Amino acid sequence: MAIIEVNDLYKEYKINQKKEGVLGAIGNIFYPRYISKVAVNKINFSIEEGEAVGYIGANGAGKSTTIKMLTGILTPTSGRVLVNGNIPYKHRVKNNSIIGAVFGQRTQMWWDLPPIETYKLIQKIYDVPKKQFDENLSTFTELLDLKELIKIPVRQLSLGQKMRCEIAAAFIHDPKIVYLDEPTIGLDIMVKDKIRNFIKNINKKRSVTVILTTHDLQDIEEVCKRVIIIDNGQVVYDGKIEEIKNSLGKYRTVHFQVKNCSNNLDNVLDTQKEYLFEVSKSPYDIQVKFDRQKITASEVMNIISPYCDIMDLTIQEPSIESIVRDLYRKQVDNNDFIKENAGNCKY
Amino acid sequence: MLFKYIRLYIEFFKQNIKIMLEYRADFIIGAMASLFMQMSGIFFVWVIFKNVTTLQGWTFYDITLVYGLLMLSKSLNHIFFDNLWVLGPQYIRQGNFDTLLLRPISPLFHLIANRLQQDGIGNFLLGLVITVKSLYELNLNLGIKGVALIILFVVSGGAIFAAINLITATSSFWVVNSYHLIWTVYSVNEFALYPLNIYHKAIGIILTWVIPYAFASFYPANYFIHKGYEQLSFISPIVALVLWVIALRVWRFGIKNYTSTGS
Ligand SMILES: Nc1ncnc2c1ncn2[C@@H]1O[C@H](COP(=O)(O)OP(=O)(O)OP(=O)(O)O)[C@@H](O)[C@H]1O
Ligand SMILES: [Mg+2]
Repeated sequence: MAIIEVNDLYKEYKINQKKEGVLGAIGNIFYPRYISKVAVNKINFSIEEGEAVGYIGANGAGKSTTIKMLTGILTPTSGRVLVNGNIPYKHRVKNNSIIGAVFGQRTQMWWDLPPIETYKLIQKIYDVPKKQFDENLSTFTELLDLKELIKIPVRQLSLGQKMRCEIAAAFIHDPKIVYLDEPTIGLDIMVKDKIRNFIKNINKKRSVTVILTTHDLQDIEEVCKRVIIIDNGQVVYDGKIEEIKNSLGKYRTVHFQVKNCSNNLDNVLDTQKEYLFEVSKSPYDIQVKFDRQKITASEVMNIISPYCDIMDLTIQEPSIESIVRDLYRKQVDNNDFIKENAGNCKY
Repeated sequence: MLFKYIRLYIEFFKQNIKIMLEYRADFIIGAMASLFMQMSGIFFVWVIFKNVTTLQGWTFYDITLVYGLLMLSKSLNHIFFDNLWVLGPQYIRQGNFDTLLLRPISPLFHLIANRLQQDGIGNFLLGLVITVKSLYELNLNLGIKGVALIILFVVSGGAIFAAINLITATSSFWVVNSYHLIWTVYSVNEFALYPLNIYHKAIGIILTWVIPYAFASFYPANYFIHKGYEQLSFISPIVALVLWVIALRVWRFGIKNYTSTGS
């Protein structure tokens, strides 16, 4: 049986419409007025033990809300979550003893104490045998390079240092499942890399199930094989990351900074419609989207350069947001997205 | 189960002591500040007794015994349950309550164990001095039984304070600013610093049956000084127990209403 089972999971937040002033406040107590906001709208998926799954979507898509229901922090409005056979919000103690979690924006460590003290408290809370704890601590210290950090009070650590310590705290009691909600937010490439490698390593070696949300596609590419994309609280894609990359991730956008464009450029771009799309143009700026599998970036440059002086250019990889947008467009064009996607993969 | 929690509490306690030692200056200033505030109350009684010898049949040391017992109960709550005050602003509103819900232990235990309030220690010591001095001046020979009873009364009193704060603090799950409610209800304890006889009947009823702080001072004191309410003194532990049963119910209901914050 899958370690995580999610059936028709639905969450509606009730937001109390607060009225102004003293009378409003009193009125509020007797006649609270709520508006409701659907954050997660009947989603289904199941995750096997040892999988590493990327859970992505635009801002406000419902990722954190889902994670909070999986961890038992929030109670679903309807639908069901089963984690290792337990209902998280009901069997809190049982469920919490087998999970670890990191929420990028808040710390689980004691603010005034050095991380090592937090680790020791965690050891006591989860009844981790001394030997196992010491082994984990030394492994993690090496992998995440924590030696200098774990004796400094948390409040004195930088964001990146804190996050490395935080990640260790989520794994130190050998959980079966670890939820990571934006663990790389605001970090530089070096720290991101360290954290990705760590997660990948532990996921492989100890078959810890990992669920990761992020806005950085590279996190997902390096850590996960499977990705679930949600938008507006609904699952819009669930499958291999490669398929997404090949079909939607194949697009690139080039920005040219230009000068002295000749009038012929418009006509030329028009004739290349098959390869260059979503062209936007102003006298000093041209933006072109192309399919990496059909045309190379240098070919794109060759098309444009005879007609303009190119001052500068940048190439952009697709963001999660744009992939979600494209995914939508595809679904509208063709309801059977996956089938079409499989066809695309062939060439 | 219980042993695990006791063991854990000791671990949390050790960590809190470490933090306290790190903020040594805060400790001294905090203890001094609350000491001065409490002194002013005793000073007030002392001024009154410059002009009279008894108040409704109560002598100066009868009254300070009531005062001392309440201080002891109150400071136990202050030292060990202080985190309840910040449940709303620091935990619920900022979404930090999430963290407490992720551990395989009771979130309420976690919340309470997370903090020791050093400012209460000065009050506790002052309360101890006042209580002992009063008992001594009243020529009361307690014996072991008497000392055990005082401890039972003070612990019950602390539990009464904590339970009341827990009930009002739980409102943080529904209202944005729970501070006013917690503070208003808590302030009623000021009346319990003095014997109930000196007030209008209604206040006595409130302090006994509605917000029963009198069971942390007036009634237990009566056990020793026999002013006519001895029977009620033994109810203190029961009142504490009943209040905790209610408070835990309310708490459990509150947690169900927790909606975290966007992240
Ligand atoms: N505690 C809350 N109370 C009310 N509404 C909320 C709460 N938390 C989230 N929401 C709303 O629910 C929706 C989903 O929010 P959620 O935090 O799950 O998004 P997300 O996918 O994690 O986004 P992001 O990438 O920005 O973190 C949003 O519209 C948000 O405004
Ligand atoms: Mg989020």
